[in-house]
Amino acid sequence: MFELLQLEFMQRAFIAGIVLAPLLAVLGSFVTLRKMSFFADGIAHASLLGVALSILVGVAPFGGALIIGVVFGVLIFFLERYTSIASDAVIGIMFTTGLALGIILISLQPGYQPDLISFLFGNILAITWSNVWIIAILSVGILSTVIFMFKKLTLTSLSEELAWTSGISTKYVNLLFYILLSVAVVLGVKLLGIILVSALLITPPVTAKLVTGSFRSYVMSSVVFSLIAFVGGLFASYYLDLPSGASIVMSATIIFIVVLLYTKILNNKKI
Amino acid sequence: MNALEINDVSFEYVKDISVIDNVSFSIPEKATTILIGPNGSGKTTLLKIMIGLLEPTSGTVRVYGKKPKDMRNNIGYVPQKLYFDKTFPITVMEFLKLADTSSEDEILSILESVGANNLAPSRIGELSGGQLQRILIARSLLGKPKILFLDEPVSGIDIGGEQNFYELIKDVQEKYGVTMVIVSHEVNVVSQIADQVICINKEMLCSGEPSTALLPEVIEQLYGKNVSLYEHQCK
Repeated sequence: MFELLQLEFMQRAFIAGIVLAPLLAVLGSFVTLRKMSFFADGIAHASLLGVALSILVGVAPFGGALIIGVVFGVLIFFLERYTSIASDAVIGIMFTTGLALGIILISLQPGYQPDLISFLFGNILAITWSNVWIIAILSVGILSTVIFMFKKLTLTSLSEELAWTSGISTKYVNLLFYILLSVAVVLGVKLLGIILVSALLITPPVTAKLVTGSFRSYVMSSVVFSLIAFVGGLFASYYLDLPSGASIVMSATIIFIVVLLYTKILNNKKI
Repeated sequence: MNALEINDVSFEYVKDISVIDNVSFSIPEKATTILIGPNGSGKTTLLKIMIGLLEPTSGTVRVYGKKPKDMRNNIGYVPQKLYFDKTFPITVMEFLKLADTSSEDEILSILESVGANNLAPSRIGELSGGQLQRILIARSLLGKPKILFLDEPVSGIDIGGEQNFYELIKDVQEKYGVTMVIVSHEVNVVSQIADQVICINKEMLCSGEPSTALLPEVIEQLYGKNVSLYEHQCK
């Protein structure tokens, strides 16, 4: 059963996913609370500009995508905060701009661009050992920061006014969260692709919300559902010869449907 | 010493359109002050200025002689509502632990003092308006504030719950000796618990003890000609 882990590319994908799945689940718990799923989607799409710029100058696209992801995250933060433009409009403008610039730059390059396709849809074959190291180090760093500021982040996410009057510098907490989320989304893009990455941010926390009554159990359950979705999806993609990113997303969706039906049946029995 | 001093405060969201116009008043220590005015009169804006969430366009605000920003650890704040997903899984105890470093025993003791110790394991989203108000008051008391601001505290509560709330406010004041500033659009709050009333409708229309400050003509200026409600409540 574990023969697939003998393969080096699967080892790389497995390590990257085992680290990324909890990270995206923990951040996703806050994303659903703050209703920021469009932000995550926007950063993922805008990161295409980083990929295109990297291809243009001939460097590894992962670094370029990370830098552009953070730049767009910070830009969205300041535009939301210091203009009267609605948040969804800001994100909509920023992400389509990033995407459009990326498409224009890529169109200037002759021939087929394999990096582009792997970033759009995710490709576990494209994950290198250096990618794994970057993902692991940044994921541990982000998770440690979130754990360290867990109370502040939760209170700020629940009510910025309450957090501010509790002495929390909400502006900096929010800015830091935008940066951490932008980095995490781009890390996830490597595994799941620009189009699918937000699924692991949203589906496991929403599934966990169906069966938990406290914040602690909600975050823990999100992590567990995310890990099951990743491992299940990876195995399915190997044995059924399916695209890995899409398999992981479908695995998360199946878990969501099963849990939703289970809670519906349980509630009906109670009635 | 005055707990709060507001001097010539004006505020504009848009240039040259005042929401608050040249307001000055002071709030004595350990008193309960009600800030009343109709909807859209600038009360909540003024409250946000008083707690330091907004900077006034002109004028000064001092809480115990300091800028509100520098007194955040001594300010308690009970918002009108918590705008978050009611299905979100967070218990009362978890919510209160977010506020500061209080132990579980301290939190339970505060919950008991606001008559809500049985709510500790409940989900925040399952609470009624009155229960949520008690939890928000408990949360604000955890930081041992010198001054407590409450924004429209009875707006989501039924009439029976309102009476319980007024009794709770009196109990909290007696027990913790905290200065209270309550913002409300309802005149009847004043007759229930106020030591001092401040009337505002962009500019300040009255200030002082309710019996002397809240004259029929002031009420008429605030709310139009329907003054019978307050007179009835007083009787």
